[in-house]
Amino acid sequence: MSHVYSADLALNIKNLTAGYPDNVVLKDVSWQVKKGTLAAIIGPNGGGKSTLLKTAVGLLPPFEYKIMELLGHPPRTGRKQVAYLPQQEEVDWNFPITVLDVVLQGRLVRQGLWGRYSKEDYDSSHEALAFFGLERYKHTQVGSLSGGQRQRVFLARALVQEADLILLDEPSTGLDAKAQHELADLFLTLSQGGKTIVAATHDLNCLTECFDHVLALDGRVLVEGKPDEVLTEANMVKLFARHFPKVGSRGEVMLHEH
Amino acid sequence: MSIELILEPFQYGFMVRAFVGTGLVSIIAAAVGTFVVLKGLAFMGDAISHTAFTGIALALILGISVYVGALFFAVLTALGVVFLTRISKVNNDTALAILFTGIFALGIVLLSGTPGFSGDLNSLLLGSVMAIQAKELMLVASVALVLGVVMALFFRRFVLVSFDPVGAEAAGFPVAFFQGMLLIIIAVAIVVSIQAVGVVLVVALLITPAATASLITKRLKILVLLSSAFGLLSSFLGLYISYFYSWSDSCLSSHSLIWAYLGNPETARGID
Repeated sequence: MSHVYSADLALNIKNLTAGYPDNVVLKDVSWQVKKGTLAAIIGPNGGGKSTLLKTAVGLLPPFEYKIMELLGHPPRTGRKQVAYLPQQEEVDWNFPITVLDVVLQGRLVRQGLWGRYSKEDYDSSHEALAFFGLERYKHTQVGSLSGGQRQRVFLARALVQEADLILLDEPSTGLDAKAQHELADLFLTLSQGGKTIVAATHDLNCLTECFDHVLALDGRVLVEGKPDEVLTEANMVKLFARHFPKVGSRGEVMLHEH
Repeated sequence: MSIELILEPFQYGFMVRAFVGTGLVSIIAAAVGTFVVLKGLAFMGDAISHTAFTGIALALILGISVYVGALFFAVLTALGVVFLTRISKVNNDTALAILFTGIFALGIVLLSGTPGFSGDLNSLLLGSVMAIQAKELMLVASVALVLGVVMALFFRRFVLVSFDPVGAEAAGFPVAFFQGMLLIIIAVAIVVSIQAVGVVLVVALLITPAATASLITKRLKILVLLSSAFGLLSSFLGLYISYFYSWSDSCLSSHSLIWAYLGNPETARGID
């Protein structure tokens, strides 16, 4: 099969079916994200937000697809320029590791099997720490930082890795309103610097202000486009309707799940 | 206590060998044990030590090197656990515990049922470092050296795959390779420790120093060094007491470790 690699796309997925051995989560999903875009994936729990991110970076094997490309490359080679930030609760925050050591890992993942840190690696890590205002925490254990600071440590690592595509799973979970706005500002700065950001989120608050592309996902692609085109009442009802509790005629609460 | 008393054990060749052997084994087990504790793999350590015993039993009966038998079973167990928990969806401590104690029991049956080997049973279960020969000591020393070098060379990579395997794998880092290597290192460390402390107590040597050290520091390099120091100190203490009172040296070593853990003020405060 011959692929047409499009250099302008950070993410290019065509006819993807994916999920877990006994649970097909995504059916026939196609999605293209242009480089430098701030894109959000929204949808109900179980709608496949995480599955899409994990399949895109090779953490889950796809069942079927016509095209899967990262930054115009097949996943195997494209992954070197991809950073994936897992959900907060998937990280062991008790792990005894300092902020600087986490950020330096951006170079380690590029080195692979062999290599030592050079002076340039340290310089670039300190630069990234300074960019995110984390320099005075460099010798602090990463888990003792606040939620917003932890996100910035991982973003700093993505910069040091020279990742051009940054995927985040529920980045705003556990952040207060101020930290969420700071994160949104950082996304904007990063995308202006040429980075592509793709975030799975259930937080619909700042979507219209922060993102320039939204994918509404519930197993299949419901709709995609600019936030104001996607975030219509009709679309949101379709997307979330079966997950809203409804009160029946006798006052009983009914959950529409299947 | 006079200086003569402190030096007394060292006039005997077997005691010198015992101190060197115990020292090497406890340092390496404690250093490797840091990753066992950080990754919550205590259960894996337990499983490996139990099946390694059966590997030794089979090797004795077949007349091949006990290290080969132990290592074969240890590595097989490590990879087996990974397979069971990752590939298939058996994530069931109960089933695995039954399997490993079953294999362990089989080893005991084999050894006690074969004429001429029941004497080895006790030393395998509880260790026999005072009986260690110069040739075995050389082997332990070489293995300790190799493990130390590999740990030092790939330390940061082991940290990466322990701390954030998901992010590393997403970026194309060979996570499975380094996780597998780490498990093999753990298996090898357990196998060389069995001679010194026996099957039953090897997990104490592996886990307790690192668990104690992790209560004191949140810096990884200091954690490894401190863990090794605790391992060394407590095993020397155990050997000393056992020399003067002829109690079981391995039990004394693990006891001093466990008291160091329990006696730590942080443990009393119930920090995770």
